[in-house]
Amino acid sequence: MAYKVNYRDVEFNLFDYLKIQDLGQSEKYAGFGKEECSAILGEALKFAQKEIDPLFKKSDQVGCKHEGDKVTAPPGFKEAYHNFAANGFIGMDVPTTYGGMGLPVGLTMAATEFFVGSCIAFSMYSGLTRGSAHLIEAFGSEELAQRFVPNMYGGKWGGTMCLTEPQAGSAVGDLSTVAVKDGDQYKIKGTKIFISSGDHDLTENIIHLVLARVEGDPAGTKGISLFVVPKFRVNPDGSTGEWNDVKTVNIEHKMGIKGSSTCTLSFGDSGNCIGYMLGEQRRGMPMMFQMMNEARIACGLQGAAASSAAYESALDYAKVRTQGGKTLILDYPDVRRMLITMKAYTEGMRALLLYSANLDDKEVVEKDEATKEKYAGRLSLLTPVCKAYCTDMGFKVTELAMQVYGGYGYIAEYPVEQYMRDVKISSIYEGTNGIQALDLIGRKIGQKNGEYFRELYEEMNGFCTKQAAHPAFASEVGSIKKALDQVGQVTMKLAEWGMSGNVLSPQLHAMSYLYNLGDVFVSYLLTDQAVLALAKLEEIWKSQGADNEEKKSKICTENDEARFLEGKVKSARFFVANILPQATARTKAILADDQSPLKIRF
Amino acid sequence: MKIAVLVKQVPDTETKIKTKADGSGIEADGVKYIVGPYDENAIEEAIKTKEKNAGSEVTVISLGPVRSVEAIRTALAMGCDKAIHIDDENSNPDAYVTAKALAKVIADKGFEIVFTGKQAIDQDNSQVTQQVAEFLGWPQVMLVEKLEIAGGKATATRRVSGGKEVYEVPLPAIFGCEKGLNTPRYASLPGIMKAKTKPVETLKLSAEKGDAQPKVVLSNFRLPPEKAPGRMIAGDAAAQVKELVRALREEAKVI
Repeated sequence: MAYKVNYRDVEFNLFDYLKIQDLGQSEKYAGFGKEECSAILGEALKFAQKEIDPLFKKSDQVGCKHEGDKVTAPPGFKEAYHNFAANGFIGMDVPTTYGGMGLPVGLTMAATEFFVGSCIAFSMYSGLTRGSAHLIEAFGSEELAQRFVPNMYGGKWGGTMCLTEPQAGSAVGDLSTVAVKDGDQYKIKGTKIFISSGDHDLTENIIHLVLARVEGDPAGTKGISLFVVPKFRVNPDGSTGEWNDVKTVNIEHKMGIKGSSTCTLSFGDSGNCIGYMLGEQRRGMPMMFQMMNEARIACGLQGAAASSAAYESALDYAKVRTQGGKTLILDYPDVRRMLITMKAYTEGMRALLLYSANLDDKEVVEKDEATKEKYAGRLSLLTPVCKAYCTDMGFKVTELAMQVYGGYGYIAEYPVEQYMRDVKISSIYEGTNGIQALDLIGRKIGQKNGEYFRELYEEMNGFCTKQAAHPAFASEVGSIKKALDQVGQVTMKLAEWGMSGNVLSPQLHAMSYLYNLGDVFVSYLLTDQAVLALAKLEEIWKSQGADNEEKKSKICTENDEARFLEGKVKSARFFVANILPQATARTKAILADDQSPLKIRF
Repeated sequence: MKIAVLVKQVPDTETKIKTKADGSGIEADGVKYIVGPYDENAIEEAIKTKEKNAGSEVTVISLGPVRSVEAIRTALAMGCDKAIHIDDENSNPDAYVTAKALAKVIADKGFEIVFTGKQAIDQDNSQVTQQVAEFLGWPQVMLVEKLEIAGGKATATRRVSGGKEVYEVPLPAIFGCEKGLNTPRYASLPGIMKAKTKPVETLKLSAEKGDAQPKVVLSNFRLPPEKAPGRMIAGDAAAQVKELVRALREEAKVI
């Protein structure tokens, strides 16, 4: 079944709601008007449907192979990767200095949804290459950047990030890979596990970004430095040199994303692995966080993109599958409930991610330093929400898709079981969702004395005040306001616990707190979008002389745009009426602060 | 080599076509337009020909309403160098008028080779290419699946039922391209950005068509009748075959 997406919803977010075409008036994004952005978006979808979608099944059924000292990706990946690169899709949102395209981040996020949604495993290779190249570009010397980055954006070489070691996962500070100074460079020795794109046959070389400790540096995260370690050495003239003593020991056999190679890499077994230090010594972690933060949002996008693909697929199925005589399953209330739940979550996640990506663009074009910082701060606050909320809800949506399919969904003939398996990892890697929740309550909420959080709160509160008497959405706005106040109340409680030395209760409820913030923020975005959608719908009704319910309904049946806009209104109403109350329930549970999980003797 | 490629903007194959209530045409509202799929093969062949012949230039030409410029931009983004838009001033001309105007522009500009899609997928007439050739007095080969150009000559292969025909034609000539000829490239991101700055010359159909008058009048548009649902034939295999043969002979009247 071919990859489908609600393209109009993507456009609605970009051009109607966020108005990214206005960025085209800035110096940085001059020339990116609506026409150009639309052309790029359209081309990205076409590429996803024609070139990536055919890889989806093969990615799962053939997977990656490790034979001898070679790792091969599924058939078709290599050709598609080079085609992808040739079209400029690897470095879409990075500067043009070393071969990036310099596109707005929001537009890039929207286009990337198509690539990820049509095959998550395939999109990992380019995603990691982009992230690692961008890191070298951001922190490396000009010489280092010139040597590595253009070939990475150009698709000739791949890239990875190497953090995890057998005994150092979430606690990356425990890593034991060492770097020993050797002239201008370092000799690297150690083992890294779970390295996505760690080895494959898509590119002639792979550039690893490796976290390691320089001999003699302190233990913990503060002693970690970052190194550029190519699989094959790169001669000063740019040609590929001898093998750099980076060995693939093993590839993992996984539940999903089987087309993405997950490798155990051994660096410097023969003492001959050279690395180049990136940026300053002992500053590895802060630099790596640039890539990790991007990767966390990219994880959220995997959740959203899989949701979207699974929803469209379940919807198509529900429109043709009959049960109980000639009744389409689409006509059963419980199936409709599942479908609208999927639709509302999918649109909510998309709205959250594109809003967040747009913060990046707003920061870039903003001239005022204080406002710039405000955007950056808000993005950093929302990053753990994007990651954990979208991946957990994303998994939930794929599970609902399977439920709509019934028994057939459980069989590999249909795509939904693969969506579900493929997206599960997103809640685990790049910092588990539990870690995201701790990041949110421990670091992000209190950042700058809570100012970023207060500003986010004020944005939602301002919306509630402004739309309190909206003729169509007053009730939804009232519910959002109530849930928002509860978020405020719980935030105070977390702070109170913290200040009184109770560090365990906040950790215990961190995940619930993150879900609550996600539910409330998504409710706000969906309702704000619904206000806009309804205004547009009313214009259509008016222009076509629909002065009664019957005529309005007829237009919504026959006119695609009207049907879409009405669907946006319904998504928002459903979300606020059916999903947002879960936040209230969780608030009650948090405040009750049941200690059983801590007290139970397992 | 001065290369031209003729493209037409057509409704996306996935667009749900609705006819106007008075039958005078199709509802433009909500229709998504694309470059004709066979025209994409023509664009690809034009660009490939340019790449093989140093100093060549590809001009994309589209005749149609103002929105056709979107299709032109796509062709420019794929790699064409410049463009001519012949504005039809919303006259929706027939193949004859279209071909007359295109032939005049091609002659005026002195193109040496012209590529087209084998047909536009909106009205599916497959008329314009051949008529343009006729008015120019050029050789034409339709349904081209393989093309080689050397020494002022082109060798074009086309499929016919049961085999292949190979034509050798002198240039200038015009070629109607078929799907199998090549794999059209995507409009790359740098290509899309560059397309904005490439020149598009606008001409008016009324000025280019001369005294050509349409030979076809479109009087009414309607959707094809909906396909009737299939019917399951009950019984054992022998009874089913009997009933099927009877239905095919007596009801469908096809045997």
